Amino acid sequence: MFSKILIANRGEIAVRIIRACKEMGITTVAVFSEADRESLHVSFADESLCIGAASVSDSYLNSSAIITAAHLTDCEAIHPGYGLLSENPHFAELCEENNLTFIGPPPEIIKLMGDKQTARDTVKNLGIPIVPGSNVLTDYKDAKAEAKKAGYPILLKACSGGGGKGIRRVNSEEELKDAFTIASEEAKKSFGDASLYLEKYIVDARHIEIQLMCDNYDTVINLGERDCSIQRRNQKILEESPSPMLSDAVREKMYRAAVTIAEKIGYRSLGTVEFVVDRDDNFYFIEMNTRLQVEHPITEMTTGVDLVKWQIRIAAGIALDFTNDDVTFLGHAIECRINAEDPDNNFLPTSGKVNILHIPGGPMVRFDTALYQEYSIPPFYDSLLGKLIVHAKSRSDAIRKMRAALCELIVEGVVTNRDTHLEILSNPSFVDGKYNTTFLSNML
Amino acid sequence: MFLNKTMFLRPKNKLEDDASPQTDRIITCPSCRKKMPVKEISDALKVCDNCGYHFEMHARERIEKLFDADSFEEIMADLTSKNILSFPDYDKKLSESMTRSNENESVIVGTARVNGRKCAVFSMEYYFMMGSMGAVTGEKITSLFEHATEHDLPVVGFCLSGGARIQEGVISLMQMAKVSGAVEKHDRKGLFYLSVLLNPTTGGVTASFATQGDIILAEPNALIGFAGPRVIEQTMRRSLPKGFQRAEFLKDKGFVDKIVDRRDLRDTISSLLSIHSKEE
Repeated sequence: MFSKILIANRGEIAVRIIRACKEMGITTVAVFSEADRESLHVSFADESLCIGAASVSDSYLNSSAIITAAHLTDCEAIHPGYGLLSENPHFAELCEENNLTFIGPPPEIIKLMGDKQTARDTVKNLGIPIVPGSNVLTDYKDAKAEAKKAGYPILLKACSGGGGKGIRRVNSEEELKDAFTIASEEAKKSFGDASLYLEKYIVDARHIEIQLMCDNYDTVINLGERDCSIQRRNQKILEESPSPMLSDAVREKMYRAAVTIAEKIGYRSLGTVEFVVDRDDNFYFIEMNTRLQVEHPITEMTTGVDLVKWQIRIAAGIALDFTNDDVTFLGHAIECRINAEDPDNNFLPTSGKVNILHIPGGPMVRFDTALYQEYSIPPFYDSLLGKLIVHAKSRSDAIRKMRAALCELIVEGVVTNRDTHLEILSNPSFVDGKYNTTFLSNML
Repeated sequence: MFLNKTMFLRPKNKLEDDASPQTDRIITCPSCRKKMPVKEISDALKVCDNCGYHFEMHARERIEKLFDADSFEEIMADLTSKNILSFPDYDKKLSESMTRSNENESVIVGTARVNGRKCAVFSMEYYFMMGSMGAVTGEKITSLFEHATEHDLPVVGFCLSGGARIQEGVISLMQMAKVSGAVEKHDRKGLFYLSVLLNPTTGGVTASFATQGDIILAEPNALIGFAGPRVIEQTMRRSLPKGFQRAEFLKDKGFVDKIVDRRDLRDTISSLLSIHSKEE
């Protein structure tokens, strides 16, 4: 086992990882930007080093500074958390070259799954459905033929786009010609690359992902699904497990598909296979996330498995001491992402000083956060302040518990999206478990 | 800064029992605090066997338990209220009340038999806006009296109401006159009307058909009045006597003829109907 780990992240996830290390007897090193000197992960870790200025490119994305920090403190491994460098194959390679273990899958696998096209091809060759779509479109004529094959409505996507940007919906062939011209011009302007591809637009889609855990000895464990369909502008807001709409037959098929992918590509570490499910229960592979996910706690709640501890153990070469037969899914878990954003002001990011903090408590209530009283939230980073997670026997009990817990949460001094969550939890369609990715934009 | 009560919102969670009714749940008597299974109460006419407290009862349940089995023949069951004044949230309230009470209106009417003797009967619903009187309530009771007049039937009426329905404004108020007219015609034909006042009987219902019975019975400790005690106190500028507006107080003043325990009600109704019957 590693005796010392560097955590190349900040906020609640850095705190989460340090907690796991404390339980495991591992010494922790935090890195921080100049703006994060007072952040909780800094004081929480055993040692800490400043790695640069406030901007993430100078600090948390500054690979050489991070590697240097790991050497200066004699760390054996680096945990990248999520976001930032977590899915960067070059950083994983850099770790290897410097005799540091990257806590995640090997760089080849990050590369394989990180390239959308190769990932799609790989999965397609395994006989698993992918969202019908095209390769790079050569011209309008090509687009017309490909669109006909996929079936309208379709999405025109910029090859170099990402994060929900550079996407245009086309409902019929009549719209295609103009849309194609505008989209390629836009792509050129925004990303410096005019190339486009297209994808079938899935109506009433649900976003469901399967959590996998694989050790270095070919054991693949499926830890169930998470329904992440409550999204705002492609950003997940609320997640639950299990999914309230999935039939057991479809669920079983999706589990098998996810496990097949992991087995066939020789996956290692934690990973998540994301699917989109249409209204007829057909599911299509979207992508695989080769890292720890923000919403991992709901899986921890329903399975009782500590994902972060196992992620570290697997990286240290320890074999899983249980199989899928030992995993039992218990009850229902919900997570609400508490963001520093103003629902009354088009969800603009907010910042400020926490004057009063009251954290919800009671049985089966968990709040993963880096907040503390008197803490000033720096304006440079992600708006995620914390994650409120509840677990109960049934979905309806979990909804009740979450409502009560949210009402207990007080972050005085900073505007948060708490009331949006309360509204979601009282919405009849949500309560009935009948929703898709358009739910939140319809509600707001 | 300190935490204070206003910072904590109250979660919008319905009372658990409402969400999942169970027959084996336990109920606490609000009067003597004795705990007992709901089933026990339901079987015993919903009266606490320890202190005699009378629990609320559904209108239909009351008829089923006090009259001959399966003798109730309902009429005008399908009539429902409309939001004639476009009163805010009235439609929502109506549909919620329908779900909660499992009835279409705040009263059910029809004919039934007690010990074989036929009578017309109306029974007001606690769980439908506290038996509030709207146009449909008035219409159903009026029609029942007309039916009884036509077929020479006595009327037994279980009165329970928060009063006239505010969402229907003056239209609900005029039901008082309309029902009273039908009661009068029934009376002129020499037919018997037995009114039973339940907890609570107030407002326009008290001021009209509830107190127009030839004989007026009341359940023990029922609240019976027109305006609420606090309104009266403020208007009169003096405090009210003990037991004011309770059934026993009203009996002392001659407003109510007899207080009858629910467990004796069937026998009382039966003997009153036979004494005042026009048959034989």
